[in-house]
Amino acid sequence: MNAPLIKLGRAGSLALLFFLPAPIVVIGATSFAAAGYLRFPPGELSLRWYAEAATDPRWIDSFLTSLGIAAIVAVTVTAIAFAGAYACHRLRPRWLATFELIVMSPLFFPHAALGVALVNVLALSGHLGTASGIVVAHVVCTLPFAWRPIMVALQRIDSEIVEAASLLGADERRIALGIALPLARSGIVTALLFSFIISFDEVTVTMFLTGPQVTTLPVQIYAFIQENASPVLAAISTVTVAVTLLVVMLLERLIGLEFFVAHDPA
Amino acid sequence: MRGATATPRGLGWLLLPAVLVLALFLGAVALLFLHAFWTKDGFSLAYFKQILDRADYHEVFLRTVSIAAIVSLTSALLAYPIAWLLWRLPKWRNLLLVVVLVPWLVSLVVRTYGWLVILGPKGFLNEALRWAGVIQSPLPLIFNDLGVVIGLTHVLMPFSVIATLSVLLQIDNRLEEASESLGAGALETWRRVVLPLSLPGVFTGISITFLTSMGAIVTPILLGGIRQKMAGTQIYQEVVYNFNMSKASAWALCLLILSGLGLVLLRTVEAALVPKADK
Repeated sequence: MNAPLIKLGRAGSLALLFFLPAPIVVIGATSFAAAGYLRFPPGELSLRWYAEAATDPRWIDSFLTSLGIAAIVAVTVTAIAFAGAYACHRLRPRWLATFELIVMSPLFFPHAALGVALVNVLALSGHLGTASGIVVAHVVCTLPFAWRPIMVALQRIDSEIVEAASLLGADERRIALGIALPLARSGIVTALLFSFIISFDEVTVTMFLTGPQVTTLPVQIYAFIQENASPVLAAISTVTVAVTLLVVMLLERLIGLEFFVAHDPA
Repeated sequence: MRGATATPRGLGWLLLPAVLVLALFLGAVALLFLHAFWTKDGFSLAYFKQILDRADYHEVFLRTVSIAAIVSLTSALLAYPIAWLLWRLPKWRNLLLVVVLVPWLVSLVVRTYGWLVILGPKGFLNEALRWAGVIQSPLPLIFNDLGVVIGLTHVLMPFSVIATLSVLLQIDNRLEEASESLGAGALETWRRVVLPLSLPGVFTGISITFLTSMGAIVTPILLGGIRQKMAGTQIYQEVVYNFNMSKASAWALCLLILSGLGLVLLRTVEAALVPKADK
């Protein structure tokens, strides 16, 4: 067989794979360098950039804002997606396919166009530059990501369980909260964590919506890169990487990562 | 849960929140049209005319489409071997998937900043090359189209990996075994069995990465510099610095139309390349 060829292919592919985290690793290494940049041979290590970030209220504020917005978005969008997907799943309306297409449609909008569209509508209601405006925009952007895992989980529930419960006299409320909710928990946890991390790290749409009163961490990072390329950025960036890594590991522990590469069962 | 009870009643209101969110989205899209065609002086095609008339704007759209095309194809090409590797190493798949997913989910502003640190004039790469004596003066790796292409390709590659891998995982192992037992080598099996079956995933990846590059703002601004405008950066500038929502909306509509045309073209190519599924 072509053993050497396969080995070569694997080595090449592995090199490409480790190209993906390369910029993150470089940032991480820079954040611990006392000099503030990477050099040969590596210089002294220090936490001074982290200390600097921790004493700057701009970073603390935007970090807490991002965490808060992401948490509210995750819970809200997951609740909305569960309620909607559950109703669709049980009622099976004839327009289900069309409805799901509309649910997924924000995915087919280039972010710059989505940003302008959301500015238009939030300006109309006076929510531009407010945290609530950002939450609403993030709910719109993350609904497709929350909808799909929940729908997939609902479709996996054995219909006989619901039938049995119904025969034994369980009402709709009991079926929804006592059976569907716990049995679809893998989808719900995936939706929660996935929408949390998308909201926490979103920048392209959000930068249209922030204002003097409120800004998120990624938008603050963007603004800071333009005005001042201080190594404190490396420390802040490493913090966002840590949050993202934490959420991915949590998802891996709780549910597994198969969802991301699973094909639509429908 | 199909056919569990006769017809569950009173569940319709559960759809209400989702319908409201979608109504907001559709309302936002409707406003996009309204703003694009209604300026201060009433109905007007002024901004569309401006886009059609100004050569510098043609250049911006041309750059946007070319960069999006190059980036989505490069990203598909580079992502394919990674997806293949993850497919081939089921034992390691979960761990390697973390290596793909974390860079995908980390904020793109952070990943772009990483490329600034690596490719900048005093960046990691230039310093390393100078230290090794390969170059005397730093290579111009960013603040040009090359920087934007490198940055965007890297930002979008994880998605291409995921799209391709999800299709590879569906391939029936027996097809490969059959091909090899009929005497085809590994390379031939890949070319004649695996590749055609994985193309739909590759095309999904190309479509989404094309769309994302079309609407990119952060990476083009940070790695391309002020002069190398793309449609997204122009739109952002109109909204945030010029407060010209009509112009921004007109640009956004043109961007949508071009993206839609791109997707239609991709669909046509896919239909011609991919053998009809006989499921």
